[in-house]
Amino acid sequence: MTTTLVDASDQAESALLNLHKKFMSGNRPPEALVPLNEAAIQRFELLKFPHRKHEMYTFVNTKELVSTVFNLPGETVVSKDFIKSHVYPECESSYLVVVDGILNEDLSDNSAIQSSINLVPLKDAVDQPEIKEYLADTIEKENDVFSAINTAFISQGTLIDVAAKKQVEAPLQILHVSTGSASGNVTSHPRILVRLGELAEFKMIVKYVGVQGNYFVNSVMDILVGEQAGVTFSQVQEDATDAWHYSKTRVQQGRNSRVKAVNAFFGNKITRHHFEAHLKDVGAELLLNSVSILNDAEQVHHFVRIHHEAPHTNSTQNFKNIVNDKSRSSVDGTVIVNQGAQQIFSDQLINNLMLSDNAHADNKPNLMIFADDVKCTHGATVGQLDENQLFYLKTRGLSEKVAKELLTKSFAESIVQTIDFPGVVDYLENTLLKKLEA
Amino acid sequence: MLEVKDLRAGFEGSEIIKGISLSIKAGEVHAIMGPNGSGKSTLAKVLAGHPSYEVTGGEVIYNGENLLEIEPEQRALKGIFMGFQYPVEIPGVNNAEFLRMAYNARQINEGKEELDPLDFDDILTEKMKMLSMEKKYRERNLNDGFSGGEKKKNEILQMAILQPKLAVLDETDSGLDIDALRVVSDGVNKIKSADNALILITHYQRLLEYIQPDYVHVLSQGIIVKSGEKDLALELEAQGYDWLTPTN
Repeated sequence: MTTTLVDASDQAESALLNLHKKFMSGNRPPEALVPLNEAAIQRFELLKFPHRKHEMYTFVNTKELVSTVFNLPGETVVSKDFIKSHVYPECESSYLVVVDGILNEDLSDNSAIQSSINLVPLKDAVDQPEIKEYLADTIEKENDVFSAINTAFISQGTLIDVAAKKQVEAPLQILHVSTGSASGNVTSHPRILVRLGELAEFKMIVKYVGVQGNYFVNSVMDILVGEQAGVTFSQVQEDATDAWHYSKTRVQQGRNSRVKAVNAFFGNKITRHHFEAHLKDVGAELLLNSVSILNDAEQVHHFVRIHHEAPHTNSTQNFKNIVNDKSRSSVDGTVIVNQGAQQIFSDQLINNLMLSDNAHADNKPNLMIFADDVKCTHGATVGQLDENQLFYLKTRGLSEKVAKELLTKSFAESIVQTIDFPGVVDYLENTLLKKLEA
Repeated sequence: MLEVKDLRAGFEGSEIIKGISLSIKAGEVHAIMGPNGSGKSTLAKVLAGHPSYEVTGGEVIYNGENLLEIEPEQRALKGIFMGFQYPVEIPGVNNAEFLRMAYNARQINEGKEELDPLDFDDILTEKMKMLSMEKKYRERNLNDGFSGGEKKKNEILQMAILQPKLAVLDETDSGLDIDALRVVSDGVNKIKSADNALILITHYQRLLEYIQPDYVHVLSQGIIVKSGEKDLALELEAQGYDWLTPTN
């Protein structure tokens, strides 16, 4: 039995290496990116696809994904109407459309913030020593095989550069469109790098959608936040149901910087989001909230690593998952407090609401603390609706049905409300929360 | 309006109320006093229909109906209101929206028209003004992050909006400073009329200076050990509860 599994996994690995060869010769990534592509594919060969008990994939069954044969997407025309329907009101003139990992300037309109941000193709950005070193360093340290695969397949990628002291008024929306395929399966590897200079302020909405199914989007976003800078962003995962979504957000925070991230997940075959943050200097603050509402056999898995690398850094996380039918969610989250990182505060809370006996929610909150003067809390709950809340609402004349609906919605709503973009809040109230009425 | 006859009830198998009888008519205010653990809050929860409390004997007749057979939401729709000692926080439920839902549930039940947010806003504004509640509490989530005093005001706000026939206020005075107590009591006094009745559950006599009871009942170890008129409260204030213990 074991040999078969190894064979299958060997086969999948050689299939990926073949696809990479095809990519390098067919798509011809720019010369400046080739060293990255090659270093990353070597990293992949070292890491290999995760086996069943891999610690980063404890709750995620990658077997089907790994054994699926993928092609690189062809040219597909995406209509402007499709794009318009996915652009939030606050971003009407500040959105970038990335189709299958390639920035499409014709479909984009960033006129409102053109003068406030710099868009640099990655092939040019690697001329800057800081970017070059950062990327080389992350490839070397990469322990998530799918992120290594992303780098191995970068053919374009964009650096969004916000200069020091620049305060960008309008939020920028990045719309990742996967065109998918009518037959067979395609895979794409979007790559975005965001860099905020000292005292810069930036807001961003990242949304993932699919034109049709049968795809695997494997995305990576790096966010480098300079001293005293602040970034607020939301990621909305709303891919085709018949698709896989893997993504990694890697945040690096400087002195007194602030990051606020509130993400929403609709789920699909398997969505896995890896959030890795490095609070590298004194006073860095991170807030990470997330909500998932899952029906049928949808899955959303979170893998979170927060590294407190300096004293006086703060992180707060709240994950809320509602699982119905046969859906699955998991949160595998570890907060690491380095030696010498004293006086840090960290709070991690995972709440799961089970609406069906066949649904599944796994939680693994974890703390690794190598300092002695810290305040760290974590907890996880799995349960049905709160009896006392239900009774309270009934004593006000609300029927059992109405009270239950209200409480279920409020469970998710309490995260949705922490999103800073009214257009996104409205949208989620009318789409994500409506999944509870099905 | 309400007849409680030899009511026995408990929680998780232990009997807390051991035979209480009460008769309450429209227009009356009854105070139920007693030390901690005497069964005051259990009585309130049983009247409201909390599922965790088990009735083991006796009966409760409300306007001719067997109250114990009626679901909590139906009791509410029939005019029973419970002011919670510890109002629960519900993050993600907008306070104003919740109040309108509760108001409209009553309207629908009575065959009246539902109010849209704009019309309801007039009622809400007026009642909040009566309770000196800041506007921000309408936009906040239900009791979420409210101070103890604001939670209690929010209970009375609900009472003002729902206009119950019988209100059971469970330790509404606890956690209130003297200014808030005055405001809350004034609010309750304005809602009080010849058509409704009030049960005030309290540990202290202080509340009764502001809301005058017609009758005072002293509860101890699950039974009423003494009933009297409002002077009884003063006696309790002076002498404490120790001289009143069940004689059995």
